Amino acid sequence: MATPTEQLDDSEGGPLERWTKRAIKDPQRVYRALFYVAMAFFVVTTLFPFYWLLVLAVTPRQNLLSGSFLPEIDLFGAGMTFPLPVPRKGFAPGSFITIFEQIPFHLFVLNSFVLAITTTIIVLFVASLSGYVFGRLDFPGRALLMLGILAVSYFPPAAFLIPLFEAFAGNEPIVIPFTQIPLFTAPRLLNTPGSMVIPFSGLFLPLAVFILTTFYAQIPDGLEDAARVEGTTRLGALFRVIMPLSAPGVATAAVLTFISVYNEYFFSSLMALSPSAENWSPLVGGILSYQTQYTTQFNLMAAASVVGVLPVVILVVVAQERIVSGLTSGALKE
Amino acid sequence: MARVQLKHVTKRYDDQGDVVTAVDDMNLDIAHGEFICFVGPSGCGKSTTMETIAGLTIPTEGEIYIGDREVTNLPPKDRGIAMVFQNIALFPHMDVYDNISFGLRLRDYPQDEIDRRVERAADIVQLEGMLNRMPEEMSGGQRQRVAIARAIVREPDVFLMDEPLANLDAKLKVHMRTELQRLHKELDTTIIYVTHDQEEAMTLSDRIAVLDSGQLQQIDPPLTCYNEPDNLFVAGFIGSPSMNFVEGTVTETAIETPNFSLEFNPSSVDDVSAGDEVTLGIRPEDIYPGELRDEVPDPSGQIAATTDILEPMGDEIFAYLLLGDGETSMSQELATNDQLLMSIDPDSDLEEDEEIEVVIDRRNVHLFDSATGEAIVHDLIPYETDSSASGSEVESDD
Amino acid sequence: MSTDTAERTRESRRSGMLIAAVRWMENLSETWYAYLLLTPIFIILGVVALYPLLRTFELSLYAVSTDLTSLNFVGLENYIELFTGGKDRYLPGSNTFLPTTLSMPAIVSSALAVTIVFAVVSVFFETLIGLGQALVLDQDFYGRRWIRAAIIIPWAVPVVIQGIIFYLMFNSNIGFATPPLADLGLLASTNTLNDPLSALFIILVADIWKTSAFMALLILAGLQSIDRSLYNVAKVAGASKWQQFKHITFPLILPTVAVAVLFRMVGAMKVYGIIDTVSSCAVLPSLSCMVVSTFNTRVGTSASIAFVTAAIIGIIVMIVIVWQGEDAI
Repeated sequence: MATPTEQLDDSEGGPLERWTKRAIKDPQRVYRALFYVAMAFFVVTTLFPFYWLLVLAVTPRQNLLSGSFLPEIDLFGAGMTFPLPVPRKGFAPGSFITIFEQIPFHLFVLNSFVLAITTTIIVLFVASLSGYVFGRLDFPGRALLMLGILAVSYFPPAAFLIPLFEAFAGNEPIVIPFTQIPLFTAPRLLNTPGSMVIPFSGLFLPLAVFILTTFYAQIPDGLEDAARVEGTTRLGALFRVIMPLSAPGVATAAVLTFISVYNEYFFSSLMALSPSAENWSPLVGGILSYQTQYTTQFNLMAAASVVGVLPVVILVVVAQERIVSGLTSGALKE
Repeated sequence: MARVQLKHVTKRYDDQGDVVTAVDDMNLDIAHGEFICFVGPSGCGKSTTMETIAGLTIPTEGEIYIGDREVTNLPPKDRGIAMVFQNIALFPHMDVYDNISFGLRLRDYPQDEIDRRVERAADIVQLEGMLNRMPEEMSGGQRQRVAIARAIVREPDVFLMDEPLANLDAKLKVHMRTELQRLHKELDTTIIYVTHDQEEAMTLSDRIAVLDSGQLQQIDPPLTCYNEPDNLFVAGFIGSPSMNFVEGTVTETAIETPNFSLEFNPSSVDDVSAGDEVTLGIRPEDIYPGELRDEVPDPSGQIAATTDILEPMGDEIFAYLLLGDGETSMSQELATNDQLLMSIDPDSDLEEDEEIEVVIDRRNVHLFDSATGEAIVHDLIPYETDSSASGSEVESDD
Repeated sequence: MSTDTAERTRESRRSGMLIAAVRWMENLSETWYAYLLLTPIFIILGVVALYPLLRTFELSLYAVSTDLTSLNFVGLENYIELFTGGKDRYLPGSNTFLPTTLSMPAIVSSALAVTIVFAVVSVFFETLIGLGQALVLDQDFYGRRWIRAAIIIPWAVPVVIQGIIFYLMFNSNIGFATPPLADLGLLASTNTLNDPLSALFIILVADIWKTSAFMALLILAGLQSIDRSLYNVAKVAGASKWQQFKHITFPLILPTVAVAVLFRMVGAMKVYGIIDTVSSCAVLPSLSCMVVSTFNTRVGTSASIAFVTAAIIGIIVMIVIVWQGEDAI
């Protein structure tokens, strides 16, 4: 801690007093200390909930309700409850296997992957076309159209729910609003991937469009011209030159779209009418099954959540730079 | 055979409500195998004209022919052209081989044909052994060669080059210039070359097309543009340093300018009569110090001047001369009137702020119509004129 | 020429139709080409957003029977009843979050109240904590990358798992967090998740935990765009760390933060999933909750609530856009 000379100077008083004295002489130490305290606080508060999930997941089911997770500690003779839970009720990691036996939890996760990947591919393709147009072409109405796309991303999904549900039910023909003129009857999409992929594509397109617009706009015109003179069409130049060169931007848009779909709750919980994997119910359905059907098996809920959160945790650690750049370059277009 | 023709090509842009005419009724006929330079200041329409030939821009009006095909609305890939860009535009995610072979691969050429052509192109631009490098590992000159090789492999009917040397340093530029000339000789294809550097245009091309404000000013071999510029713009643009311009009025016997007069017989030239406002164009090398008067074929009278700044260039000295009372008029007009630039021998012992007399070689004085800028005549005294005409000359300095 | 032969063999492999289509596309003017490439996005947004919005408004003008077979045009009656209390009996929850003396209809006293309180309070704390996190991440220290990853992770957690986490923390059977907070008087000690104010407190904590990182990233981007030499100028002038923050950092990031706050608030007004998992829509009926709870039984009512929600958010977005102009894009 303190060097011998300092100890000589500040020999009187306890350690706290000595630290305070030095701190007054050198305010940098205070800032440093504050910084570490703040950092520790943020890390603990963000990670603690995961710790709690793990504690619950490995606690044997029969011990869940008996006794407290908060140990009594003896502090200088005065008994008190330690405010944070500790794993003190036994160790039963079997819940990580049980969750796949009670319900086909892996199929729910798989459904989420299929929905997320399909949506990501559609979004990347459509957003690439739009990003190219907004980033590289000049045409009347550009600003207005971008504004319109931006606006869509701010409307709550609840505002779109009723007509989409009605259309995906496939009972009645879709009519042109305010006219009664029937257009066509959509196939029944409820309980199929389509009923989720379609709204997801719409909801998450705007963010991808804004990210790709930023990246595509930065590719020099000369490269596009060179590709066209060499023999590509305009679209060919987009997919052969502009897109590969914007690989970081495309990766960013892909990662953010994937995470957004994987995390989506609203349509995921409503478009699959029952939480069963055969009906394409995704992660949401799997987790909620444990909450509603196995109401006291808290260890299973926790274990399922740990498994469900693992893919995105890995994605965040691996693709951290892309996420940060996407959220900041696409700025506010969440 | 790739003759390139532009017929009434016009390109207008809509710039937030204002219509901007980038290219205005351009007519060009470029022969097969010709090396032609588009030259002009920035914004003169030379790049837009080239883009219409490349197909990167579709003209608002007019037609473009390459060979005997009309290509006006064809996409770039179907025009049989290859292009080298100012910013070089190598694909940074591909190595040299992939960059060069890009166009051939797009067209599904057989692999051995691609290899053969890439090898040959690399050989022509001296890039052997570098085919696996990435563009970022290469110097500016090497990248430019890759860009040229990428154009060569396509064996195009027409090469388009948009300021390909603009981003290179001066020494490399001169070197690449010779390489381009060698290339032209070797390939025997039409080359259309855009530059803002008139010196580059002079040294490279068979013919120069001088453009200004979207309009073709003159298209002629370099020396014709230099010696017989069609108008004030070409006269001022071609040649370095620029031609001196002095405004004057034609009288019965001379052209009077604010500071001197040149003896001249208006009846010797068509379309000129006493009272016309004209602009004299005098190249710096056609002005001589007074003591060399006897060596000048057709000297003017002595003109009093004061030297201002001297710029020694090594092989010559540029002397800025002040005429009249020595006041410099810092006018932004093309004509300077009170100032002349003279190019003299480097051994001259001329000093700054020295009062001297100069003479002008009247044979090489260009005469332009002040109102229209059109050239009237390129030699005040026609070369054929016999000595009796020069005998009637009077001393005209004041 | 060999170019031509290769060209021809290649072209012969393609169908003439395709060539014609490609040529047609290549010849479009820039403007028409732009519109052509935008067609897919406008079809998708038309299907997912524009048509549903219009159709929602249309449905809100009808009294619709449960099976959608009979439509009865009622004009704005659904809206009128919604705001005069006539619809209250169809809406979930009977909790009012405003003093009963105001006698507001349920849409205002519960849905709007819950939604707006949630949005304002959560974004307020997210901004504060996000600022703190951003200031920490703005420092140079060993392991910064890992700390940043740790702080971002909650943002990437699926809503349903976020819900389960807080459900498990505050659940009355095993939730360890309830007793200490109940002792402080912040939560109801029994049946915590069904007590409206306790549930509101818990979903606020859950949302702040998840979304602060998002604010932190935006603020961090603002912080890192500040010219570092400004701090040297301030140091030379003798400014303390706090003064540097007050006079340089804060004013320079304020515009970014202000826009971020407004847009985040609009985002927070969509709240639904966390309520559904931690508590229930009957306890905390947000606007989205009310739409979902009624759309299977009272389509007209549901549509009118959905349209009111869309209108409120639309108005806020419009105000921000008008205020910020093109910068908002």
